[in-house]
Amino acid sequence: MKYQQELKDSIRKALPDLDVVIAWSGGFDPLHATPHFIRREEDIDKLEIGPFSVHNLATYLPGLRGKKVGIVVKGCDSRSVIELLQENLINRDDVTIFGFPCTGVVDQSKIRKALGHTGKVDFCQITSQTVVVGAGGEEHKLRLSKVLADKCFTCQYPNALISDHFVGEKINPSAQSEAGYDDLEAFENMPLAERFAFWQKEMDRCIRCYACRNACPMCVCRDHCLAESRDPHWLSQEDNVRDKWMFQLIHAYHLAGRCTECGECQRACPMDIPLLLLKKKMNKEIKELFQYEAGVDPEATPPLLSFKMEEENIKEREW
Amino acid sequence: MAKVQFIKAADVKPWLAELAKEHRVFAPSYDGEALLFRPFDPAREIVLDRAATMPPKKTVFPQSEQLVDFTYSKDPEDLSRIKIDARETLPSGSTVVFGSRPCDVRGFTMFDRVYLTEKTTDIYYKARRDNTLFITLACASIENTCFCNWVDSDPCDSTGSDVLAIPVSGGYLLETVTDRGGKLLSSKLLVDGESKKEEAEKFCEEVAGALGAARDLSQAPEKLLAVFDNMEFWDEVSAKCLSCGACTYLCPSCYCFNITDETIGMKGKRLRSWDNCMSAQFTMEASGHNPRPTKAHRLKNRVGHKFSYYPAIHGGVTSCCGCGRCIKSCPAGIDIREIVLKAIDFKPAAVEE
Amino acid sequence: MTKNIYLPEMATIQEVIRETHNIMTFRVTLNNPEAMKNFSFKPGQVGQVSSFGTGEATFVINSPPTRMDYLQFSVMRAGEVTGKLHTLKAGDQIGVRAPLGNSFPYEDMKGKDIVFIGGGIGMAPLRTLLLFMLDNRADYGKITLLYGARSPVDMAYSYELPDWLGRDDLDTHLTIDAPYEGWQHRVGLIPNVLLDIAPSPENSVAVTCGPPIMIKFTLQALEKLGFKDEQIITTLEKRMKCGVGICGRCNIGTSYVCMDGPVFTRAQLRQLPNEL
Repeated sequence: MKYQQELKDSIRKALPDLDVVIAWSGGFDPLHATPHFIRREEDIDKLEIGPFSVHNLATYLPGLRGKKVGIVVKGCDSRSVIELLQENLINRDDVTIFGFPCTGVVDQSKIRKALGHTGKVDFCQITSQTVVVGAGGEEHKLRLSKVLADKCFTCQYPNALISDHFVGEKINPSAQSEAGYDDLEAFENMPLAERFAFWQKEMDRCIRCYACRNACPMCVCRDHCLAESRDPHWLSQEDNVRDKWMFQLIHAYHLAGRCTECGECQRACPMDIPLLLLKKKMNKEIKELFQYEAGVDPEATPPLLSFKMEEENIKEREW
Repeated sequence: MAKVQFIKAADVKPWLAELAKEHRVFAPSYDGEALLFRPFDPAREIVLDRAATMPPKKTVFPQSEQLVDFTYSKDPEDLSRIKIDARETLPSGSTVVFGSRPCDVRGFTMFDRVYLTEKTTDIYYKARRDNTLFITLACASIENTCFCNWVDSDPCDSTGSDVLAIPVSGGYLLETVTDRGGKLLSSKLLVDGESKKEEAEKFCEEVAGALGAARDLSQAPEKLLAVFDNMEFWDEVSAKCLSCGACTYLCPSCYCFNITDETIGMKGKRLRSWDNCMSAQFTMEASGHNPRPTKAHRLKNRVGHKFSYYPAIHGGVTSCCGCGRCIKSCPAGIDIREIVLKAIDFKPAAVEE
Repeated sequence: MTKNIYLPEMATIQEVIRETHNIMTFRVTLNNPEAMKNFSFKPGQVGQVSSFGTGEATFVINSPPTRMDYLQFSVMRAGEVTGKLHTLKAGDQIGVRAPLGNSFPYEDMKGKDIVFIGGGIGMAPLRTLLLFMLDNRADYGKITLLYGARSPVDMAYSYELPDWLGRDDLDTHLTIDAPYEGWQHRVGLIPNVLLDIAPSPENSVAVTCGPPIMIKFTLQALEKLGFKDEQIITTLEKRMKCGVGICGRCNIGTSYVCMDGPVFTRAQLRQLPNEL
């Protein structure tokens, strides 16, 4: 990644005033990165940014309240930071934001498929257009555009929307059109029974590990979640679709207009359940009703955190 | 020497169809993007060339199972007197799991030492364990996350299995491991496999070689205890942990559970369901005191349990089968190998005079 | 037929005693007369008490095995299960899985002087052993009891105290944290009162149970008095589910409080990693 050195220098300068800087480093194999907590000067060397920097590090911020924290953000991650600021879940003075122009991150499940599901990866070389992977004894040349996460194709904010230190040149969004919800249309057009059957099938394999919840930067009830609460007793511990789906619906409702569609829920899900679909549907409704997009303006109040006697687009009197 | 048989790859499905007449049969097939052990269905493709997303843990240890069924009833002559009828609900029937990996099945042997002891027998576990047979497939697809050879196993390990299937040209060599496994091998679809034995041996040698050198974990029990009180160590290795349950629920040897009651009206059930030591609730006491209050304490217990406490109790056996799912499926990319090695290599800072 | 370790015996609450504003005592009998007749346990062992529909929680059996008319559990209201138990009355049905865990080393304690130091609900496990020893009085030397609570109204077993105070073969000291009108006994924190009573460590065993902060300072006081780690016994509490060493939450390193405990000597606790 082009601006990696510049970013390291920027962090090196700021580190003496910070308890920790959260970035990424190489993961368990050449195709994976992992969140990297920089506490000492020598930790900076391991920093790596690029198409494997998939994790939204903003998730860690509420847990580090009270500490001076630096965080490296992609454009999409910066929206979560903004949302956390809006909701007073983090303190702006305690957070130092490092931004860089993001050209997209990969979807690991697309790579897995492209490599024929081998987990034996020997090397990986990235150019601006391709990822060359040595895996299972073969060399695979993957076009980056084939393995990028779906969210990157509609991304309007490749540069951090909020930052204290921005390295590199800001770039224009690569997405042709405004972030739309075209991909929802096919789903919305399905008859009710089919949509119902779809979720029945998808939620059936949920193992209730709550990686979706814990990876979500906006899921802030943390250790006081309705999923485990006995009083009130919302959910049973039975292995059934009803309870699993109930959790996802409550989760999605609580994220309506707060969710920045970072997709961490779906990425974290070990069972590959298309959870982002639910969140996007909620956000689409919010956008239509309130013309609001989460995590763009630090001064704005998310619509469901505010109250108006007369909503412009909810014509209650005409019901 | 146990007899060996051979089955053509094309005959696997018909064979499973035969077995399905007598047993519930599970085999790996895709559900969405997840490769899971699902009830055998001739219409589904069985996928054997890669490790499944989930081990077949549910076949013996369901995600949630009913332990007790209870009913409240009121005495019609004295409504203040309420009777409770509580009954055990034991599982029945037999199951065959096809295509499990040696690591997957070895995980149950970690359960056995805890669930079936001289002092205590968990009859729910026993009912399933005794009636679940594993036709295990030797591993041809070594991944970067695999480390079964670090924990005294190998890609052809038959520990815990009933039949071991080894890929050979045209199909699979089937080795009887247990008597009850041998009884599964009476199908007419199977032929004598003696001529393929050499090829199978060669396969096992090659695939073991593909794993790379094993790291010596013999010092892990002692070294992990040595860093027990070093919270800085644990804070650092757990910093990226999200406290979710992906690692524990995908782990073939994680056996912890919760017990909760559910009622609707006058009827209810007592459930045993998977629980997760990464969650703050796991050890939270009613008083509000939590002996493992942070994710650092909890990750310490998970790693400590597998690589120190369990081996100390159970004759040196590590409670990890090296399948690598916790590494592969961790949303934060935590690598348990790295933590154990870091503890082994940890040198306390020299005390200044 | 192997016993089902998870299936409780059904039991009937015979009597409910309101001890304090947040502690209630339940005297229960197992519904199956055979099971009740054959029920045997040792002082210090615990049971899982169920209210079906709410769940189970762990309590020490605080009646002694020498008095088997009923099994007694004292329950301090803290969470979901204890809250539910507090709504129950005589005649109501509960489930009991018992006995579980280890016991006080009452055999090894024979011929020795015994010092009981109980704080608040921590008196419950001590009561079992105390009554057991009083019922086998000749086996033990001098018995001293120091029982403290925040105030007189927080003191469980108040109806038994006159008897304990009146006995010649039991040296009873009661204390509360702060002065209280009409209180005739000691005022002061348990560790301080203990130093004042100053029982001799010679051929003695101290048994203590109470809230963590009290335990911490009581252990210091005992050390000051010359009690060695092997002479100090306490009982631990952890969140438990199975009660039989399987479900995996009550361990401190390699020790499972439900199986290897709840009773530990201070010497044993020192061997465990620091995770109380």
